[in-house]
Amino acid sequence: MSYEAIAIVMSGGMLVMLLTGQRIFAAIGFVSAAAALGLYGTGAIELPFNAAFKLFNWYPMLTLPLFVYMGYILSESGIADDLYGMFHVWFGNLRGGLAIGTIGLMVVISAMNGLSVAGMAIGATIALPEMLRRKYDKVMITGVVQAGSSLGILVPPSVVLVLYGMIARQPVGRLWLAGVVPGLMMAGLFIIYIVIRCKLQPHLAPVVSKEELDMPFTEKLKLLKAGIIPFLIFFFMTGLFIMGVTSLVESSAVGATAATIAAIAKGTLNKKVIEESIRKTLGISCMFMWIILAALCFGAVFDGLGAVKALESLFITRWELTPWQVLVMMQLSYIVMGMFLDDTAMLVIVAPLYVPLIVSLGFNPIWYGILYTITCQIAYMTPPFGYNLFLMRAMAPPEITLKDIYVSIVPFVLVMIFALLLIIIFPQIALWLPDLVYNRG
Amino acid sequence: MPKFVVYYVKYVDYLSTKLGRATMYSIFIMIGVLLLGAITRNILNMPLSWTIEMAQFLLTGYYIVGGAYSMQLGDHVRMDLVYDLFSEKNKAKIDVCTNIFLVLYLIALLIGSISSTMYAIEYGERKFSQWNPSMIPIKLIMVAGIFLMLLQAVSTFFKDLAKARGITIS
Repeated sequence: MSYEAIAIVMSGGMLVMLLTGQRIFAAIGFVSAAAALGLYGTGAIELPFNAAFKLFNWYPMLTLPLFVYMGYILSESGIADDLYGMFHVWFGNLRGGLAIGTIGLMVVISAMNGLSVAGMAIGATIALPEMLRRKYDKVMITGVVQAGSSLGILVPPSVVLVLYGMIARQPVGRLWLAGVVPGLMMAGLFIIYIVIRCKLQPHLAPVVSKEELDMPFTEKLKLLKAGIIPFLIFFFMTGLFIMGVTSLVESSAVGATAATIAAIAKGTLNKKVIEESIRKTLGISCMFMWIILAALCFGAVFDGLGAVKALESLFITRWELTPWQVLVMMQLSYIVMGMFLDDTAMLVIVAPLYVPLIVSLGFNPIWYGILYTITCQIAYMTPPFGYNLFLMRAMAPPEITLKDIYVSIVPFVLVMIFALLLIIIFPQIALWLPDLVYNRG
Repeated sequence: MPKFVVYYVKYVDYLSTKLGRATMYSIFIMIGVLLLGAITRNILNMPLSWTIEMAQFLLTGYYIVGGAYSMQLGDHVRMDLVYDLFSEKNKAKIDVCTNIFLVLYLIALLIGSISSTMYAIEYGERKFSQWNPSMIPIKLIMVAGIFLMLLQAVSTFFKDLAKARGITIS
């Protein structure tokens, strides 16, 4: 069988397995184990474990459970409620102000956490019900929460960039810094979109009544206190890491501790909250880790087939593409593959194929990491797979239907694609900050 | 369902739950070990060489041993585009068939982990680092965790089978 035929059989087999609704890790794991046995004979029975063992060496993945834990503590502890209150009062008198405030809230949450789970939980349980109560358009605000929380993996810290850093062998510090400006830019674009949309269709976002926001200016200033804790957490976690005081995994432990201390100080931490948080942390971490385990097996089989070389010869020799066309092909292929494959698995399987190609074409791997992350954000939000979609369905108030969720993301995905194009055309958006920080001395 | 199946499900679920709940708390040990490393290096100026590796061992135990409990709780996502269209009973029927693939994958993992552990024991494999710890304990933990996951998968299979026939066990 030719390489293409094997790849098609494997992908097709996996798609069928996934459609049966079996657990994603089992579907991927079984197809790869079966492919290994079929291709290499019984000697390959050890391949699934040996591939899985690679994850043992990926110790930066320690950041995953620690960030998940931190996210739950932050959303349970009431720190997020205070933050929401702050944004609510300061932005409430603008048209669409609560939606703008929610984006602001999401940026702050993203700066404290490396996943979109935390932002999603906070957005769906705090911001969404508040905005629904004030008769904001439910489709628009569902999109706001999904798009806003997806910033979690672009604004540092970011677990996706940790994963990319391991696969591409790039320093995580640089990658995280490279995410800062694109993350803020994307938040800005979301806000511009909300402002324009609300100007054109004012019924989508009724203005909050004057009385409700009426309070002495000193009271308003006091609300800003809510911003202190996130700032401290950001400083102790990401700040100390960038300054080289703590290592990457240590910084996530510092963040987890800081969030716990903040929750204790607020007096909201009890046995039930802790138990619930660490139980969910175990569940989500195991789910992601087992998907990665299985995807590593799939990747190992693909790698054994010489997929990188095959891809290179397909793009460059056979199709005679220019480097830029190859780049566009890669981004497009992510979107196509995202329809057949789980997004987390896709990261693990596809990045090792594309990164060597990117480097050999002379592109900057740090910059590509940002493109890769934004593509992930889009993939996580778009059906049929999409972890954010899945979470949104589980967490959103009942009046928000599945159709609302699917429709809501469309404008925001377009904004994200626009941001992606901007960064492709102007790589300095991503590279300016890491160059500034690391090339000083 | 036959009596031994009911007992099997009961005891395996009990074991996964207990081990899973114990594993759940190890996240605090991970945090503690990492903080210890950061503090001794930066404040006491006494760097410890083993903290990150220790956390790495703990993490591996965390997701391997915790896997069975997370499966019991139904935390592993599925692609439910088609799956969700079926009734609970029909979902169970589909699961009865496809759980076989889950079991087969876990058997392959188990065989690989046993052979890797045998190698580690035979050659006294150590992790190549300053701390230079033995790899035998973590590999034994991985074998045990994967075996537990396999037991849990079989228990899940029985539960789905019962559900497909309209009865509940456990």
